[in-house]
Formats: sequence, C-alpha cells, structure tokens
Amino acid sequence: MAELETTERIADADRELLARAQAGDMSAFEALVELHRDKVYGLALRMTRSDADAAEITQDTFLSAYQHLKDFRGEAAFGSWVHRIAANNALMRLRHRSVVKAAEEEFKGPEFNEQGSLAEYPASDWSRRADEQALDAELRNAIQQATDRLPEAYREVFLLKDVEGLSYEQISEITGDSVPAIKSRLHRARLFLREAIDNFYNEK
Amino acid sequence: MFTCKESVELLMSFLDGELAPDEEQKLEEHLQACPPCVDFLRTYRATPSLCRRALSRQMPQELADRLTDFLRQKCKK
Repeated sequence: MAELETTERIADADRELLARAQAGDMSAFEALVELHRDKVYGLALRMTRSDADAAEITQDTFLSAYQHLKDFRGEAAFGSWVHRIAANNALMRLRHRSVVKAAEEEFKGPEFNEQGSLAEYPASDWSRRADEQALDAELRNAIQQATDRLPEAYREVFLLKDVEGLSYEQISEITGDSVPAIKSRLHRARLFLREAIDNFYNEK
Repeated sequence: MFTCKESVELLMSFLDGELAPDEEQKLEEHLQACPPCVDFLRTYRATPSLCRRALSRQMPQELADRLTDFLRQKCKK
C-alpha cells in the first residue's frame, strides 16, 4: 500500500515536471533526469556489465527522451518510457557486441531422482530473508556471479522481467522473441538462480 | 497426481494464474502432500525480489555530474 502511494506520488511529480519540461523548462527536465537516472543507469549496467557502456546508454537515453519530449503524450509514466528506451539501447548494444557465451552445462536447475521427486530437498526455507532489510554482501556477490553465468538470452529476459519489471509483451516487442519463448527462458533462469541462492544458504 | 518434476515445471504458470483448472487442482494436491515442493515454491517465488535487491545499483556522483554536463551541452537550443 505504502509502495503504491509512493509510486503515485512519483507519477504526480513526474507529470508536473514533464509538463514544464515540454514547455521548454530545462531545470524541470534535469529534475526528471535526477529522479530516474539511477534506474536507467542500473538497467544499463546490469544488462551490459560495463561501466563505460552504462554511462553512454544513460546519456543516450536521456538525450533521446529530451529530443522526443514533445511527442510523449503521457499514456505511460515518464519512468516507464525512459526505462524502455534504455532497455532498447542496452539490447542493441549487446546485439552488436560479440558476447562470451556461458557454458550450457553450467546452466542447471534442480535435480530429480528417477521417480521425478526432488533428489535434494531445500535444507532451509530462506524465502523470508528476501524481505530482510540488510542484504548480506556475500549473498549479493553470489547472486551477481550466478546472473553472470546465465546464457545471454536467459539473462536478458530475467533482467528485463524480474529486475526491471517490463511486461512479457514489452520484452517481446524489444527482443523480437515470442511470449512463450520468453516465459520458458524466464522459468529456466529463475530455477537456476533459485538453485544458486539455495546453494549459498546451504553452504554457509 | 503430479510428480515433483512436473510440479516444478508448472510453478511459473501457477504463480501467474495461468494454469488450467485441472492442472491447478493436481498441483495443489501435490503441494498438500509434498513439503519439499512447498519450500521449493516459496524459494522460487522469493528469488526475483531477492535478485532485484542484490543487483540494485546507484549511479556514482561523478557520472551523474557528467550526465548533467552532457545534457546541458546537447540540449542547448
């Protein structure tokens, strides 16, 4: 509820700033940039894993937003709009780069026995820790490394859906892949990452 | 009744509310009889938010300043 109220307040602030920016007020545009730059930069950095690329994508995204300010009619929130521009820019950059492919054999999910039962049961239910205030630095590192080991097409889908919050349809539009293919990859990526987090807690 | 393997394959559709009624019923029957799968479901469901928090990043102030300078220069009329 509180999160919803915060989101609505941000959207209201955005609308007011956007109207002023569209009327030519540069300080209002800069205020919009300040509100959304961490999200855009974070997306670009997670997608490209390069500080330099992330900085350039952030610049290009906001420049593009500025150049198209007059066309933006406000059907979507300003934040979602720049987020999608950034996702497009990041994906284009990835597609033009020769990506080191992760080894498929590393990309494993849960193991089942011959009867189809879970061979290794989770030793602990760590799901509640997802809501804990502070996040263990080692866990943060383990998740980062596991995400890096995902094959590229799976990593992209996981980041765009579960981290950036885009819809299946938006991801399909950006990547050109079908929604069923996206869902299938997302499920595999979640299984792999769940496994990595599970291993982290069980090895501690 | 589904096996664990069949159940795990359906978790995403289950959480998205996209299972057919008969599949949902079979999955719920399995979950009622299989505590490890309930733990699996909980941890599977918690994975995205945990990853989202672990992967969050802020733009370093130096880069933020450079971004402001860049936009002021490029957005001049």
